[in-house]
Amino acid sequence: MANSVYLHIPFCNNICSYCDFCKFYKNDEIINKYLDSLENEIDNDFLGEKLNTLYIGGGTPSCLNNNQLNKLFDITSRFIFNDNYEFTIECNIEDIDEEILELFKNNRVNRLSIGVQSFIKKNLNFLDRNKNIDIISRINLAKKYFDNINIDLIYALKNQSIKDLEKDIDIFLSLDLPHISCYSLIIEPHTKISNIKPINDKLDYDMFKLIDSKLKDYNHYEISNYSKKGYESKHNLTYWNNEEYYGFGLSASSYLNNIRYTNYRNLTKYNEKIYKKEKEILSLEDKMKYEYILKFRLKDGINIKDFNKKYNCNILDNKIIKELINEDKLLIENDNIIVNKKYIYVINEILVKLI
Amino acid sequence: MNEKIRNFAIIAHIDHGKSTLADRILELTGAISKREMSSQMLDSMELEQERGITIKLNAVKLDYKGYTLHLIDTPGHVDFSYEVSRSLAACEGAILLVDATQGIQAQTLANYFLALENDLTIIPVINKIDLPNSDTDKVINELVDTFGFEKDEIILTSAKTGLGIDNLLDEIIKKIPAPSGNINSDFRGLIFDSVYDAYKGVVVQVRVVDGKVKLKDKIKFLSNDAVYEVVELGYHTPKEVKVNELSAGDVGYIAASIKKIKDVQIGDTVTLENLKVKPLEGYKRMKSMVYSGIYPVETNKYDELKEALEKLSLNDASLIYEPEVSKALGFGFRCGFLGLLHMDIIKERIEREFNIDIIITSPSVIYKVYLTNNEVKEISNPSDFPDRQVISRIEEPYVKTNIFVPTEYIGSIMELCENKRGNFINMDYIDKTRVNIHYELPLSEIMHDFFDKLKSYSKGYASFDYELIGYKQSDLVKMDILLNGEMVDALSMIVHKDFAYSLGKNITIKLKEIIPRQLFEVPIQASIGNKVISRCDIKSMRKNVLAKCYGGDISRKKKLLEKQKEGKKKMKMIGSVEIPPEAFLDVLSIK
Repeated sequence: MANSVYLHIPFCNNICSYCDFCKFYKNDEIINKYLDSLENEIDNDFLGEKLNTLYIGGGTPSCLNNNQLNKLFDITSRFIFNDNYEFTIECNIEDIDEEILELFKNNRVNRLSIGVQSFIKKNLNFLDRNKNIDIISRINLAKKYFDNINIDLIYALKNQSIKDLEKDIDIFLSLDLPHISCYSLIIEPHTKISNIKPINDKLDYDMFKLIDSKLKDYNHYEISNYSKKGYESKHNLTYWNNEEYYGFGLSASSYLNNIRYTNYRNLTKYNEKIYKKEKEILSLEDKMKYEYILKFRLKDGINIKDFNKKYNCNILDNKIIKELINEDKLLIENDNIIVNKKYIYVINEILVKLI
Repeated sequence: MNEKIRNFAIIAHIDHGKSTLADRILELTGAISKREMSSQMLDSMELEQERGITIKLNAVKLDYKGYTLHLIDTPGHVDFSYEVSRSLAACEGAILLVDATQGIQAQTLANYFLALENDLTIIPVINKIDLPNSDTDKVINELVDTFGFEKDEIILTSAKTGLGIDNLLDEIIKKIPAPSGNINSDFRGLIFDSVYDAYKGVVVQVRVVDGKVKLKDKIKFLSNDAVYEVVELGYHTPKEVKVNELSAGDVGYIAASIKKIKDVQIGDTVTLENLKVKPLEGYKRMKSMVYSGIYPVETNKYDELKEALEKLSLNDASLIYEPEVSKALGFGFRCGFLGLLHMDIIKERIEREFNIDIIITSPSVIYKVYLTNNEVKEISNPSDFPDRQVISRIEEPYVKTNIFVPTEYIGSIMELCENKRGNFINMDYIDKTRVNIHYELPLSEIMHDFFDKLKSYSKGYASFDYELIGYKQSDLVKMDILLNGEMVDALSMIVHKDFAYSLGKNITIKLKEIIPRQLFEVPIQASIGNKVISRCDIKSMRKNVLAKCYGGDISRKKKLLEKQKEGKKKMKMIGSVEIPPEAFLDVLSIK
């Protein structure tokens, strides 16, 4: 049983300098074909469960034209939601206007995730993002339609000072939004900025600390995510809680019946309705490993009782877990095992020991 | 029948064309056709072909004009002169091969003297005479002046083109005496090599000196009286050929289902069970010059490592090892090597042939430590060094060098030797353009990068050989390395007091480069006694977080983590610090 669905819309108006996700410049003919294929994939594989969460990500879903958006919502109209459902759509700041917000609202969307990345022109320039938009007024407009809004922020940018970052966060705080995802820039190969040097380590670490202290009134519930109480991303928690979900669209991933699938990244293939590329069938041990690498990202970590029940074992018998607890890298709090906050910044060093 | 046998080896400085000459001889005697020829047939070990050097000796039987020739290949590198002397003990003659473009080099000299010690008939040969930059007349004069050969006994060849090879073979038959053993005496054979075969057990290479050995004979090793029944006899052409008996003068192999590796000792005499014979004169065992620790990266591989060393030492008697324990590295072995190249070869063979990742600690010579209570200790492991207070003096081994070099590099070579704590002895002029420079140098100073430096100081022209000349007192101290405040015994080393500060500084800097960032800031310190002489810090780790979880692509996230894990697998945990295994050796490349 999976009660979450992810839909991938791999098209953008503009390719940002840092982005290594699966995306293409928009082209109406190809988008139309794509939406047909997407519908076909859902028809083939979706078993009709009632959903707790639906998430449309990209790319830039909001770059679709009106007809295409209508087609998209026609596709999503088949999903039946449970009470307290969460339906998120990713939205570019420049696409926000009353018309699109209205359209979202009328089609049951109840959460917006806006890729702001930074409020500062210098940074937007570096990221190759549109810098001639009045970001604040657009967000204020969105707030009239939605209260559950996330913005994405990227830091550790070239020539960014700690003051610049502080300004970004201050603006976010003044907007009084319930959720923010803060990502430190990862310089990926095959992107426009693949040749630049990362900012110095001390500054990177200072920025990480600054964010943490400035957002102290928010719940730092996942490594990169902060929210007001009750506004945690239900959809993303599905991933981090190692629960099953559907993923439809180019390069999308699913986790169904103990199998993790990954779709092709080739758009032509996808539009010819060829979908699933890789299959990873999980053993019990694999599932436990995923549980470690996912749940330890969460502030609450792993609940000992739940884990022991789910896997019919005692997590504290695991030699490496024990070792990490002895080394103070993992802590036991109440009935949960969590990563010592001191090491969140280098959490992979801990996770690699557990896989 | 003995009259028709000739046993000989080829001796030469490295790269003077020994293996190519062997190839040509194989071809000319019809042992192997041109078509079958993969160049350098005798270098069968993967490593040998890759590095273009001969490490292990190989013996082949050849037919030529009604004579049986046994050709025994020899290594050229200075580290392996022990192997050369093993080859030579099984021969009556040697071809001394000199490159027409290079003339006499350091190992030409060393090998010449080894052959003389073994009472061999020496045939001087100048090779590569076809090359445009050859200077055959000059090299002829060198051979005449240095060794006293007659001009007309020197044979000129090009192993590459085959020029002069038939002439050389005729000379071998004419000049090298037939083996002197008696076919009717009791069987005695000299074991000059052995190799482990998964099916046949230990296979020994023998030179039959007297009598004969047949299939099903019960053979006995004199050194330990172990008895085995012969199940297979044969020789190489280089293909394996099985025979029913081997007799006096023959060079071949014996397989006798020998499972106990320790029963076979190179240089031992083999005879028959019921015979009482005098042992043959073996050859002097080479003393290991360089010692270092070998440890498995994964501690559970100790037994596998032990087995690997056992098997390697089977046909490499010069490799010695005994168990040792390091606080930092756990259980391993203290190993003795002939030299640095030998150490390098053993390391690679363990990793390639036995697939065990190992750590090698910094090599050390044997120091003689005189204590205040008049005791003398021989120490090859710096961590065994006694407390400074109880040491009255320390002596270290010294060598005398033969450095062959064109005269224009005399200055830079002298500068190099002075920097290595050398004392100038004298200089022999080979001719107007070349000299042999003699220095007295601490052995420890030539262990690390001396050879490389020599090449770069002389633009590649210098050749080098050395002999041990005994121990001399030196002002030495033990320098320790501390990681995160903890001493790492495997990184301790013995250094000259005057060089300690700069060395300590360089080593801490080097370690900082080699050791990846850790979860904490880790200080690296060099200290003598309790006094820290240098310090460097490894910074704490860069951020290592996979931020964005794109569309639930969690398999990819796991793959990224797995990739990171793969990179860490080979790391060794020393306390709470992760160290790449190469660190223990690489740290010395700064010297």
